[in-house]
Amino acid sequence: MEVLAKIAFSVYTLIILGGCVVAVSSSSLVRALVGLITTLIGVAGMYLLLATPFMAFMQLLIYVGAVSVLIFFAVMLTRAEQGGDEAGSAPMKTYVFGLAATIAPAAILGWLVLTRPVASVAVPVEVTIKQLGGGLLGSYFLPFELISVILMVAMSGAVLLTWEKRGKK
Amino acid sequence: MSALTLYQIVALILLCAGLFGLTQRRSLVGMLICVELMLNGAGLSIVAAAQLTDFSAILGQLGTLFVMGLAAAEATLVLAIVVVVARRFGSAKTSDITTLKE
Repeated sequence: MEVLAKIAFSVYTLIILGGCVVAVSSSSLVRALVGLITTLIGVAGMYLLLATPFMAFMQLLIYVGAVSVLIFFAVMLTRAEQGGDEAGSAPMKTYVFGLAATIAPAAILGWLVLTRPVASVAVPVEVTIKQLGGGLLGSYFLPFELISVILMVAMSGAVLLTWEKRGKK
Repeated sequence: MSALTLYQIVALILLCAGLFGLTQRRSLVGMLICVELMLNGAGLSIVAAAQLTDFSAILGQLGTLFVMGLAAAEATLVLAIVVVVARRFGSAKTSDITTLKE
């Protein structure tokens, strides 16, 4: 079983890596979006490996189902240009600065992770949905309510931002 | 190398890809895609840390659920902002909407 878990982990890592590369480097936004969806599915597989099937389900439902469709609408509504929005090469300066901005936190965090290993449990315990619901309605009731208020405000804010009065223009 | 370290490295890769993409992308929608990558790395890191140590697993999973909810709210608002910007400037490229330095 240990070997199977390692194989599954490497497969999901490869899926995530491939998706990341496409999402970051593709010149067409629709292809970048497909790369993002691939990455999200790989992360859902990681959640399954961590014995959290509910999180994997939520990942598919919220990210792959809702957020990706939202981004697709954003692509559609902004009149994507011929040959891709990102066509044409960026100046060299951008690459250098971008790499520097990436390597700095990556080096610090990677050094911390590699030099201070935490002993990990061999087999993670699965938390039932009942326990999660109990947590939501018990100790973590306030954040649960706050996030519903935030979603409500975001939704009405989005409607308000894009409102167009009738007869204008 | 312990299992937790491996998961943290994958989360770190997601964070770095998002960060690099955020500096490279020249359209607002592309930047939104990269922000989603970074948020996913954060979620994976939290769940891995909660599941593979003695830390409360419920708190870790609920934290990631809240991150997902915030990501959904953020995507909604960014979509609205991008639509407003595209309507006003005629495109959603970052170079077209830089008006301060002119």
